[in-house]
Amino acid sequence: MLDVFINLGLGMTVAFTLQNIALCFLGCLIGTLVGVLPGVGPVATIAILLPVTLSLDPTGSLIMLAGIYYGAQYGGSTTAILVNIPGEATAVVTAIDGHKMAQKGQAGLALGLAAIGSFFAGTVATIVIAALGVPMTRMGLLFGPTEYFSLMIMGLVFAVVLAHGSLLKAVSMILVGVLLSCVGADMETGRERMTFGLEMLQDGIEFVVLAMGIFGFGEIFKNLADPEARDVVRSRIGRLWPTLKELKDNFPAILRGTFLGSVLGVLPGNGAILGPFASYAVEKRISKRPQDFGHGAPAAVAGPESANNAGAQTSFIPLLTLGLPPNAVMALMVGAMMIQGIVPGPQVIERNPELFWGLIASMWIGNLMLVIINLPLIGLWVKLLRVPYRLLFPAIVCFCCIGLYSIANDAAQVMMAALFGIIGYALYKLEFEPAPLALGFVLGRLLEEKLRQSLIISGGSPLTFLQSPLSAILLAIAAMALVIAISPSMRRNRDEVFKEA
Amino acid sequence: MQATSTNTETEPSAGGLGRERLAGIVLVGFGGLGLWAGSDLPFMTSEGVGSGLMPRLLSIVILGLGVLQLVLSRKDPGPSTGRWAIRETIPVILGVILFAVTVRGYHLGPVTIPGLGLSIACPLAVVASGLAARDARLGELLVFAAVLTAFCIGLFRYALGLSVPVAPWLLGY
Repeated sequence: MLDVFINLGLGMTVAFTLQNIALCFLGCLIGTLVGVLPGVGPVATIAILLPVTLSLDPTGSLIMLAGIYYGAQYGGSTTAILVNIPGEATAVVTAIDGHKMAQKGQAGLALGLAAIGSFFAGTVATIVIAALGVPMTRMGLLFGPTEYFSLMIMGLVFAVVLAHGSLLKAVSMILVGVLLSCVGADMETGRERMTFGLEMLQDGIEFVVLAMGIFGFGEIFKNLADPEARDVVRSRIGRLWPTLKELKDNFPAILRGTFLGSVLGVLPGNGAILGPFASYAVEKRISKRPQDFGHGAPAAVAGPESANNAGAQTSFIPLLTLGLPPNAVMALMVGAMMIQGIVPGPQVIERNPELFWGLIASMWIGNLMLVIINLPLIGLWVKLLRVPYRLLFPAIVCFCCIGLYSIANDAAQVMMAALFGIIGYALYKLEFEPAPLALGFVLGRLLEEKLRQSLIISGGSPLTFLQSPLSAILLAIAAMALVIAISPSMRRNRDEVFKEA
Repeated sequence: MQATSTNTETEPSAGGLGRERLAGIVLVGFGGLGLWAGSDLPFMTSEGVGSGLMPRLLSIVILGLGVLQLVLSRKDPGPSTGRWAIRETIPVILGVILFAVTVRGYHLGPVTIPGLGLSIACPLAVVASGLAARDARLGELLVFAAVLTAFCIGLFRYALGLSVPVAPWLLGY
């Protein structure tokens, strides 16, 4: 236990340099900005800023990118409360009761509770990451290619189970993602695969191109086709700080939300997205007045917001300790680390302790900054939200184009992203979820590499995945999760959790 | 969000293929495309897994899931996918393509576009894509494009130091 604080102390000395504090602040500010503006996500923003981080040192660039990520989670809830449009997917739950509170003139209270809940959750999550860092890394070092393969399979199965809607469609999306990752030169033989002889496919599909196309452009097509009514709160914001009694009433919800979010966030396969939904369901079930839920219950904002922030932060754990990105943003972090010559995995904590602990410590500082930045800046965010979409989306198009071009100074990447944008819109129309596709794509190459390595070691016998006890356990958990998800009673529950929101 | 989902659900499934059936067809098509694209790759080699194993296995499973989806949706092909926003999509795609071909120049057969830099590519992208909005106003868009271009050049070229060409025809870079 003492080690945790010694390590965090080391992190603090790294994070508290003037440069890193400035980068953390910049990240939080940009993150909040993109989180507040509906239609600009953290994926697109981090992708645009990825080439820029080249000129920074590795720790500084990761601190800034992490700031963008949790800043966006935070900004998303501001929009959810004030406009009833979730700026981020995870703020969907907050929009329900948060916006109702805003309409009752309690916008300030909702924002204040969200801020305090997020800060508390962020503090706890920082300690959770620090405490789990060392043991998880030790476990990671025991993993050979066989175990890594099985772990990734488990992560992908979780992603399927946690996705909304049809299981079959979610499975297909993951497989399509993995298949797309196979395009380009084979990493072992250098042989071109499925490139159709096109030059722009020779090096494979860039993840940033896929992500900006499907999430950036696809989102624009979706919004243009089905414009969302914006209902910016006109009534006064009201006081931001809750009274002591309000704080006491909502603290249990914050505590439970933090716990749920932290646990779910660690799951490989983007468990973080489930946190707010789970918290909402729990609060509603144990509330003395469940009839208030959906009509502006403060606990329905405080709980899910805490879960949201805790999950966003603990989802760094699989990335930092095992080198496995659990979602699209973390995949971009892998890219950022690779640019800097750091291979994510269990060895990072050993070789770059100042990066590992500095990043973790900066998260706590960042959370403190978010409270400080956001509460006084609410007025500015409200003004920004009044910018009409007809001007917002051409600006997003322009930023995306510049970002795409600067990946490799190559115009072909820009056009390819436009194509992925059309695909993204088609997926939306056919109710395929894009998130599992992105995850499959991200893990695809690693998956194939580990599969090949395992099969070479075992002399071609696929039984090796069952002979290693650790691998067998992971696969058994995956199989169990899948069976439970398919079983009819669980399917009903799962739909309920998503529908209640 | 809620308004749109109820919209598509209340639409009659008569006419069109139905969302679920179309999803199955798309999966079958994609699996088939993958099989065809990877048909020249070795499945297994003497040293172990060949470069064709993963692509082919995945394509076959995707194709199979597509067939399963078709079978499952036979009774209930799902509601129509509704209107596809072609009119809104084309200007945005056009804007992106205009940016791509003008930022650093482009050659395609007899057509050669000189490199015009951000100073031309940005406004082209903003105005072309901006026209996709139903409530677009040209005058407003032109002014906005000018302001945004100046901002982008300042931010990306000068503040962040990216090597994007600004105006080769005027400044030489």
